[in-house]
Amino acid sequence: MKKRFKYLLLEIASPFIAILFAVLIGALVMLVIDKNPVEVYRTMFLFSFKRLDSVAIILFGMTPLIFSGLAVAIGFKAGLFNIGIEGQYLIGTFLAALAGFALKGLPTFIHLPLVILMGMLGGMLWAWLPIYLKVKRGVHEVISTIMLNYVSFSLIHYLIADVFMDKQQGLAPGVGNPIIRLPKIAATAVMPKMHSFLSNFGINLPQHVYLNWFLVLALLMAVGYYFLVWRTPFGYELRAVGHNPAGAETAGIKPGAVFFKAFLLSGAIAGLTGLSDLLSYFGYMDLDFPRGYGFTGIAVALIGKNGPLGIVLAAFLFAFLNRGAEGVQAFVGVPMETIVILQGVMILSIVVFSSVMGRYIRQQEKKEAALGSAAGKPGVTVGAQGGVK
Amino acid sequence: MKKGKKALILGLVLLMVLSLVVVGCGKKEEPQSGQTPAPAPEKPAPFKVGLVFDVGGRGDLSFNDAAYAGLERAQQEFGDRIQVKYLEPSGGGENREQLLRLLAEDKYDLIFGVGFMFTDHIAKVSKEFPNTKFGLIDGFIDGLTEASNVSALLFKEHEGSFLVGAAAGLKTASDTVGFVGGMKIPLIEKFEAGYIAGAKYVNPKVKVVSDYIGTTGEAFKDPVKGKELTLKQIKSGADIIYHASGASGIGVIEAVTAQKKLAIGVDSDQSLTAKEEQRPYILTSMLKRVDEAVYETIRVAINNEFKGGYTVFGVAENGVGYATNQYNEAMLKDISDKLEELKAKIISGEIQVPADKQELAEFEKSLPKN
Repeated sequence: MKKRFKYLLLEIASPFIAILFAVLIGALVMLVIDKNPVEVYRTMFLFSFKRLDSVAIILFGMTPLIFSGLAVAIGFKAGLFNIGIEGQYLIGTFLAALAGFALKGLPTFIHLPLVILMGMLGGMLWAWLPIYLKVKRGVHEVISTIMLNYVSFSLIHYLIADVFMDKQQGLAPGVGNPIIRLPKIAATAVMPKMHSFLSNFGINLPQHVYLNWFLVLALLMAVGYYFLVWRTPFGYELRAVGHNPAGAETAGIKPGAVFFKAFLLSGAIAGLTGLSDLLSYFGYMDLDFPRGYGFTGIAVALIGKNGPLGIVLAAFLFAFLNRGAEGVQAFVGVPMETIVILQGVMILSIVVFSSVMGRYIRQQEKKEAALGSAAGKPGVTVGAQGGVK
Repeated sequence: MKKGKKALILGLVLLMVLSLVVVGCGKKEEPQSGQTPAPAPEKPAPFKVGLVFDVGGRGDLSFNDAAYAGLERAQQEFGDRIQVKYLEPSGGGENREQLLRLLAEDKYDLIFGVGFMFTDHIAKVSKEFPNTKFGLIDGFIDGLTEASNVSALLFKEHEGSFLVGAAAGLKTASDTVGFVGGMKIPLIEKFEAGYIAGAKYVNPKVKVVSDYIGTTGEAFKDPVKGKELTLKQIKSGADIIYHASGASGIGVIEAVTAQKKLAIGVDSDQSLTAKEEQRPYILTSMLKRVDEAVYETIRVAINNEFKGGYTVFGVAENGVGYATNQYNEAMLKDISDKLEELKAKIISGEIQVPADKQELAEFEKSLPKN
């Protein structure tokens, strides 16, 4: 059992060793551009954790990443790679924004849930075609989702700039440029911020942060994801299909049906990604609506190893790096690119380290098992690795 | 579950150790870093100017760089009297507002947002910091007055585009000229409308082919696509191509150089920033004097004469125009009189340059047919 603990420790330590490694590489980059890395990292930490608004901004920033990370992870669990989160959340955000400004006079307790459901519906809609093509026609989902991302970018541009654009922005004729955006959503569709709730606990967030209840929804979603995948029959089927579709089929599970459900679920969660920004921060969708959450979500799921806790922590890491980047840019003068490099190295090293470490542990376990059976002991550790994970 | 819990605890412990290490290291360094900002007490506090670029940032050889040039000029001119800092938003641009706020919190006196994407953010932050002054380039906030702390700096890009369009119309040998826009938005369509109007005004036979690079902000930093579209336009007969596509224009200039055609730059004088071998292939550039606007705003703010409201830079104000330099002098020689004449006509109001498609259609109708 002691051995087992050692491996566990190694497995947990590996992302941290990787982060440390990335931090060192980042330090080298900073030395090259003539910045003191110690000061940079120190500013990054102090700026991010000493200021209440920074903490709230990090929590706000991790919200969409939890959604997109979970969306990617649920696909991975079923053996599907959904690169289409990007397109799915844009379509979801658009439908939500549409329901947000077009419907008027509804009470909040109907309007807000409706808008959120529209977001999920949009994501599902955009996930439906690729999975339909995969299950019925054998089109690989990586290709179709990537392509549909491009379709969604152009479609969104068309819908925002040419069909639904808000022309009532009060511009002087001939000068100035309107923001290319949809009309603002109705007040009844706005997600309330957490300010008044937190003030009950003596935490008074400044007004300029937009921390809202989507964070709680995201965390609940992570818990729900855990129960769904590890504690329900459907979750078992999902993992079985993800592990070995052919094997699952012989066991009486229909991979096609599982793929379908898993992918639509992934799309629905993806549809929530943009809503925290839409419904509490911007209040409208414009052409410049934050992009890239979908792709970052892939990194989040990879780093988090598709586990709910891992995803939440990875989302936190990314949000921290983003906020920290603002701090070091503003106070130490480190250019944005340095932080982008740091993020890139971090993702790469975490993925590499965890795979190297995983292989090492498996090898050791195999050796032990061999030794164990040679000595007549039962191979205790094999079971843990052999089963459906 | 046991595994997960252990993982969490261990993770937290490790995080704590890591942060202690970092903070600890930092502490040791403190006396050293404490020395650097030691201010000379006798000097008055410098005027602090902050600038937040749009996505793409420095190095686009175009819009953002023009803003930077204005900042640089002010820095040279006022030396110790000002202190500048510039920031760049993250790739998705979602932290524009936070960056503005950081500068405001850091007691910057004058803060620029470069690009109309900053409109709402400056509107918000300027209310939170009534004592800080803001310069908004290209954006329009409703209801500003002289007493406001926001100065909206607006350009009549269509007027400048008209002049370079006229240059293209006069210089083209194939009677076909091209336009490569960045993102398809009204701002860029304004460039296009002015350009087409200018070309058709001087040359009724001219055909203009237009293409846009994309539908996201990425369109302003995609030189590969810029190059492709330019090559496509050259194939369809265009021999002079005007781009309004930020850093994507680097590809446009590469393409015309390879094909020995002509390009027209945008925002900055791109003959100056282009490579040596590319210079002969840049006919001129549509100058949008963002640098002038930035510099002027800093200058008046330092002298305590900052005024809120709207400042419009057109041909008459020398805010837009076409570039002349030692590289294109010879190329422009035969048409410079005509261009100056058109310029005068725009200033006098004889030519009303169209700013969008609708106005362009009317403008084309008003042109004599032959």
